Amino acid sequence: MAANFWGSSQWKLLEQDEIGHVFPADQENGISPEDAKIIKIHMSEYIQSLAHQVKVRQRVVATAIAYFRRVYTRKSFVEYDPRLVAPTCLYLASKAEESTVQAKLLIFYMKKTKKCSYEVPDILHMEMRLLEALDFYLIIYHPYRSLIQLLQDAGITEMTKITWSLVNDLYKTDLILMYPPFMIALACIFVASAFQDKDTLAWFEELRIDMHVIKTITMEIFDFYENYSTLSPEKLSAALKKLPQRT
Amino acid sequence: MVDASTRSRPAWLQQYELVGKIGEGTYGLVFLARSKLPSNKGVHIAIKKFKQSKEGDGVSPTAIREIMLLRECDHENVVKLVNVHINHADMSLYLAFDYAEHDLYEIIRHHREKLSISINTYTVKSLLWQILNGLNYLHSNWIIHRDLKPSNILVMGDGDEQGVVKIGDFGLARIYQAPLKPLGDNGVVVTIWYRAPELLLGAKHYTTAVDMWAVGCIFAELLTLKPLFQGIEDKSTHNPLQLDQLDKIFKVLGHPTPDKWPTLNNLPFWQTSRQRMQGPKNEISVLHQVVQTSQKSPAYDLLSKMLEYDPCKRISAAQALEHEYFRCEPVPGRNALVPIQPNDKVVGYPQRPVDFSADFECSGSQPPQMVTSSHAVNNSAAASVTAPRPMPQQIPLVSMQRLPPYGLAGQAGMPGLTANNLSVPRGPSQPPHQQQFRRLN
Repeated sequence: MAANFWGSSQWKLLEQDEIGHVFPADQENGISPEDAKIIKIHMSEYIQSLAHQVKVRQRVVATAIAYFRRVYTRKSFVEYDPRLVAPTCLYLASKAEESTVQAKLLIFYMKKTKKCSYEVPDILHMEMRLLEALDFYLIIYHPYRSLIQLLQDAGITEMTKITWSLVNDLYKTDLILMYPPFMIALACIFVASAFQDKDTLAWFEELRIDMHVIKTITMEIFDFYENYSTLSPEKLSAALKKLPQRT
Repeated sequence: MVDASTRSRPAWLQQYELVGKIGEGTYGLVFLARSKLPSNKGVHIAIKKFKQSKEGDGVSPTAIREIMLLRECDHENVVKLVNVHINHADMSLYLAFDYAEHDLYEIIRHHREKLSISINTYTVKSLLWQILNGLNYLHSNWIIHRDLKPSNILVMGDGDEQGVVKIGDFGLARIYQAPLKPLGDNGVVVTIWYRAPELLLGAKHYTTAVDMWAVGCIFAELLTLKPLFQGIEDKSTHNPLQLDQLDKIFKVLGHPTPDKWPTLNNLPFWQTSRQRMQGPKNEISVLHQVVQTSQKSPAYDLLSKMLEYDPCKRISAAQALEHEYFRCEPVPGRNALVPIQPNDKVVGYPQRPVDFSADFECSGSQPPQMVTSSHAVNNSAAASVTAPRPMPQQIPLVSMQRLPPYGLAGQAGMPGLTANNLSVPRGPSQPPHQQQFRRLN
């Protein structure tokens, strides 16, 4: 249900094999799983930067990126151009999170940051296609709330900033589609504790959660920071070139 | 319905047989249709069409809210969103709901204007219990409805769910867990007659208590057949302060005092407009006289707890469900319209007026594209609409919230309607709708 993750549609989390694949239409364009990953990271950053310009809160960004990543578990880049889908996800998320941003404002900043041939009607058409692609499920739960509560419970609120940034970074991965928000929050606390030499092991033990899951997420976090936290411009432009060129 | 245009319509339209138009609002139109899907053939569906706003704002936030919340809601006393459709050609959005034949606005009006007898206790109690049951579900899931009024309380007609209440119209509903903006930000909502006093006095934040106030007003209206506080809305100002409405409330419940309502002094308009709240400052409530109910009765006790001034002290939906009123005879039942007691007369309510001349208006200037949902339907046969119910005349089209009333006396068991073409079985063993949901994509 609406404000309870476990009763909601979102608890049907996705498995690795449901999100790692590249659609045949994209394969034909030479897009590899690695390219797809890079494109999604880049577009997540694009959403973040647009959001910064139109001044919406982090939760709107998080919802937009979650929409974006959900869409590409079902649709190909060929069919749904990520350069339009990304800003439209932000547009839709701004409505769902009660902070409506005007389409023409988005278009203005899209044109400001990069060459862009899209106009307002393109966003409006894509909004409707996204609603369908999302199967009209629009409520998204995020780790931020649990994070604050868990940090308080562990008595380490001084780690709010670092863990919060970790959570933000995890939106550049599909982990947010695969694990419940509180597990993401816990994994971020786990990683941050390791970085900052905080002994939280006793606290984790008391939680009686599956530490294997925490460790799996942790490995993914390390992989992200080692390989993807800064995208190589060459790899990025090579991947973007494989997207259908808009005339 | 119309041969020629059938071919140029979106594919999903083929799964419905249009009956006619049943309502109109600022957001768009509401149609009545029958499902042609084998899984629920003949079942009546209400289809709400949202027009694309002209300002280039895309899908209306009202539609987004309604889809977002109802897509996740699953409760017997909350209206069921069975499908969402899009016509890409004219960018219109269609929400398909289980159709409810009645609503409290019409039921109350029928008693007041046609029957001139009050609604029997069993029906009042059953309706109220189910409203509270649905509301408790919403509130425990952090949803405030914000626009409860008799016309939004739907009641199912003949069929397996006869007499079951469905809370409808979630266009103004909100999730109130960690809102990004104050809940009062989008301008004050809730029809003024059912609006809680704290909102009228400028409270910034909505709480679930505003819904309970509205339920209290509806309860009183079920008892007396008259709206309890019929204030005249001051539309000249965007200011939420509605002096006439407050005056109507104060006349019945007595003036509130900071003694009984400690946070009263914090409300913006209480300080600034005290002088303008005219009349003798009477603190005595005459509610029992207005609803003609003994102050000692459980009904009065519950009503007065719903109409408690202080939102913090106002009874919650969960508490109300436990109230003595629902434990004493007659106990509430699932079919609110048909009392269990053999002596009680069953009232037949009129069916919703339908404008049979209306069309989905799907044919845009360009041929509509195909829509995602694909159903194996036989679209070779042009759907013919036969009037499902006796209609005295065609309803004139007027741009208003509901179609004008017409004089069709209510009878139980209207011809043309059978148990299986009105409502859908629901409950634990109820796969048809879920199947329909999944099939959407």
